[in-house]
Amino acid sequence: MRVVTGVVGNDIHVVANRLIEISLKERGFEVFNLGVNTYLEEFIDAVIETDADVLLISSLNGEAEGWCRDLLFYKKNFNLKDVVFVIGGNLGVGETKAKDIIPKYKSYGFDLVFHQVDLNEGLDTLEDYLKSRK
Amino acid sequence: MSLFRREREAIVRNDYAEEFDFEEIENFLKRADKSLFTSYKFKNSNHLLAQPRGGFPTYDKMFELYKEFQKVDTDIFPLTIDSHTRLNDYATAKKMLELSEENEVDMLNGYPLINHGYKTTRVMIEHFKKPISLRHGTPDARLLVETAIASGIFEIEGGPITYLLPYSKNFPLDKAFLYWKYVERVCAHYSKFNEPINRESFGALTATMVPPVITIVIQLIEMLLSFEEGVKSFSVSFAQHGSVNQDIATANVLKKLSREYANKLGFEDSLIHLVYHQWMGAFPYDKELSATLIDMSTFIAVLVGADKIITKTKEEAFGIPTKEANAQAVANTKYMIRILKDIPKIKDEEEEEILEAEVRSVMDAIFNDSADTLWRKVLNSIKKGIIDVPFSPHIINANEVITVRDSQNAIRIIERGKVPIPDKCYKFEKSKIDIKGGRKAIVDKIIKDIGIMQ
Repeated sequence: MRVVTGVVGNDIHVVANRLIEISLKERGFEVFNLGVNTYLEEFIDAVIETDADVLLISSLNGEAEGWCRDLLFYKKNFNLKDVVFVIGGNLGVGETKAKDIIPKYKSYGFDLVFHQVDLNEGLDTLEDYLKSRK
Repeated sequence: MSLFRREREAIVRNDYAEEFDFEEIENFLKRADKSLFTSYKFKNSNHLLAQPRGGFPTYDKMFELYKEFQKVDTDIFPLTIDSHTRLNDYATAKKMLELSEENEVDMLNGYPLINHGYKTTRVMIEHFKKPISLRHGTPDARLLVETAIASGIFEIEGGPITYLLPYSKNFPLDKAFLYWKYVERVCAHYSKFNEPINRESFGALTATMVPPVITIVIQLIEMLLSFEEGVKSFSVSFAQHGSVNQDIATANVLKKLSREYANKLGFEDSLIHLVYHQWMGAFPYDKELSATLIDMSTFIAVLVGADKIITKTKEEAFGIPTKEANAQAVANTKYMIRILKDIPKIKDEEEEEILEAEVRSVMDAIFNDSADTLWRKVLNSIKKGIIDVPFSPHIINANEVITVRDSQNAIRIIERGKVPIPDKCYKFEKSKIDIKGGRKAIVDKIIKDIGIMQ
């Protein structure tokens, strides 16, 4: 399984990004890590170039929403319906509740949304989701 | 006019910089008071020197900060540059400086030296008669360093690796090396007129789980690149690791090999100093615990025989410290240095032997690269992953090395990537680690290891 990952927007949280890469590799994924400060367009380019199965976007500074609104547009234009889109981290600015945030990101086209969820728990859920799709 | 002089004329001709008068600046260097030179201070001190960090946007607030530092007899003053200037964005720095001056709110996280200019800044520096150290993080520091030296700042921190790999995602490596080559040449040029300009490397790097072998190799490389251009006084540095024993081993190996490599390449006359950074990782959200952590760092700096210590404050976890807290931290550090006497020499033969073998192996791999100059060999070594800095955001960094802490908090390599760690040493490193719960538990372990002091 191929995963493209990185931190979206003007966000430099490199420690979390690196830990996601290590975890994915430990779980047997082939990882293409675009690192910090990555724009949605760059993620989509990498998904097409690597023929990835999963795009896992992370965000810690809470500003992901503004960077991810065009996802549906890209999914449609590039026919990416077989790719699993995942976003995780701290997905809102200030005090935010998962029950408000998750539906919003799902409406942008994400299949799995993890707001302030432990990394291993999130990746377990991703693996279960991938198995159930087969 | 020499090619180098023409290059310098082009660099200082900038919309945001004042007009440079190189003749006047050279005359200033010739008559400059010895008290402004860090290299002179090192030569004439027999104790560990204390230096804080600090920079405010306006001239007045910078002056007030220096007044606080003066009160506690700070050995070396800092001048920390704001983040826009570090990225050569002088237009934004100018706007933010104006807003800071109008509204009494700090809109910059440091002193925008280019916008203030050297003539103004020099007045402040000559007033306090203390050596000043330039703290920044700039890959292209050419104009900044010209301005700094013209201002009377005779210690320049940074380097092509230590100010690039921890700070930037995609600044081109070759440019960083060439821009720093320029900086070294300017420092070497001005070293001819009075006491030498001191260069200092930033050994703290990402301050996140960096194993000593990587730190030492990068210190040696930046030192050699600096000496190659004619710099005569250089400080190698590293930050507190978390294990006292590992700090001692690092200091001993770094001291031994920096002298050895400098001599081997023909720089016997160069001066080498050792700088120790108080804990650079995440601090506890508790001011009193933070103060204790800082005291421990000072103790270790004395123990390892450092020449200078760079201080933190107990407000570290909460943002930029007040000038009072900053000066108090220096006072506490100086007090500890004054009362600590007669510390026994400690040496862990095996630890040092392993570390030294690792450093030699990586240095050999760098020197064996087929490129024709040292900086190109180093550049290729970064590309190949021979030099690999954990948690660097830079796209060229290999990011294959994985480290965790052993039971004594020493940082150990459990995945060496392409770094040529000899098999014997690799076995030693791995023998110190036993992660329970298998490889999946590794991330939880790393998270815990990063936050070890919290």
